[in-house]
Amino acid sequence: MIGLALLLLLGGLGLVLIAEALLARYEVLVYAAGWRTPTISRPEGMSYARGADPDRPPDAYLVYLDGIGKRRFHDTRDGGRLVKSLINRAPELRVLGQVQPYSPLAVPLADRPVWTWVRRHIGLLLFLHNVMQIFVAADRRYRPLYNRAVGAQIATELQVAGYLPDSGIPVVLLSYSGGAQVASGAVNELWSQLRTPLWLITLGGFHNGANDITHAQHLYRLTSAGDWIERVGTWIFPQRWRLFRWSGWNRADREGKITVHRLDPATHIGPRSYIAPEARLPDGRSHLDRTTDTVLALIRDRLSLTAETDGPLP
Amino acid sequence: MSPVVAILLLAAGLSEAAGRLLPVVARLSGVSHARVVSLLLAGAIVDGAVFALWPLSAWAVAGLVLPTSASDEAALVWTPGLAAPLVLAGVLAFPLLGPLLHLVLMVGVGAGLAGALATVAGVGWWEAAGCVTIAGIALGVSVEAVRRLVVKLNTRRAPEPVA
Repeated sequence: MIGLALLLLLGGLGLVLIAEALLARYEVLVYAAGWRTPTISRPEGMSYARGADPDRPPDAYLVYLDGIGKRRFHDTRDGGRLVKSLINRAPELRVLGQVQPYSPLAVPLADRPVWTWVRRHIGLLLFLHNVMQIFVAADRRYRPLYNRAVGAQIATELQVAGYLPDSGIPVVLLSYSGGAQVASGAVNELWSQLRTPLWLITLGGFHNGANDITHAQHLYRLTSAGDWIERVGTWIFPQRWRLFRWSGWNRADREGKITVHRLDPATHIGPRSYIAPEARLPDGRSHLDRTTDTVLALIRDRLSLTAETDGPLP
Repeated sequence: MSPVVAILLLAAGLSEAAGRLLPVVARLSGVSHARVVSLLLAGAIVDGAVFALWPLSAWAVAGLVLPTSASDEAALVWTPGLAAPLVLAGVLAFPLLGPLLHLVLMVGVGAGLAGALATVAGVGWWEAAGCVTIAGIALGVSVEAVRRLVVKLNTRRAPEPVA
């Protein structure tokens, strides 16, 4: 009897595991096999970019890659606050926030019929699906395809938003949490399609450190001692350990491409997170204000540096 | 072989094939649904057959290297309890942890086979484990060579993304 129960349990569990194994990788496989092509269609009335006037070149394009809560074209509540704050304070930037970091086919989870039912009944699965997508993006067997898919998605979004290849206008990939895995993976594809000056800013970045970021000019790592989720990433991924000297992350670090900026005492999520508008610092600013200030200061400093060394942008 | 064991081994072969095929399909370009299904079914039969051969091979190895094991009446065969965990072979497709989980699964199943072989052949567990390991590695290497050949014959460059 116990043997039969064990047999049924193993059989049932096996089927569930196989179903999940198929589902979690299904999208990247569909993309790879060419069964469906990525789309850039948007809900009616949604612009492809916000911020700087599309009639003249902005100082830089800012692409925001949201955390695992992303499931529609609109940003999540926290990510939306950050994007809005950046747009309000930096009219010189053209901002794209509709990239789908966890969908190689650029289809938001919320737009899929089966997920509508899941969202109503087992909403947690939406987060688990996106977490699984981060691990798919980090797996060496799927990573090249995943990186290529999302890199191509970002390149397409940029071009639709007015970016001209070889224009020399910098592109900044601002990523929050798991978005860092996707942002670092998109570097090569963006370079090959647009040959753009590329800067990365990770906010509590959760990534495996395997991606080659040679074609990125610099990576600014915004972190905090209170961010245990980012710290977990540095523990569980061997390529983040000093021991793996030839990982993409450690090579970039040795080349001086990574700069760390502390945002203590912010946490990764919750009411004291990097993006929290209520949590206050001793100087009276909110965590959201400080994060916005830091991101804009980094971009403006870099733009000044570029202008000094390269002369005016074309 | 009982029908239950045969069904279990076929399900295990399908599971193993799905786990192996997913990462491979990720490198195929323009492959049709029909071709994927046919690869999956072919893989299920091949992998199921390899699983079926494992105890027989281990028994044969034991016959070669352990003089006390030879017996015409008894032989090492799958039982439902021994074969059932193989249905989980699809964990191989899991991102990051997949290969490790698959290895743990195979070690666990191999340990079960070693225990059965030790009982049937009347030898020590470690000797039996050695025979099961040798047979498993030989089968694994052989089928992997076939897989690589099939992948090589089927791989083309992935498509350019279209906006």
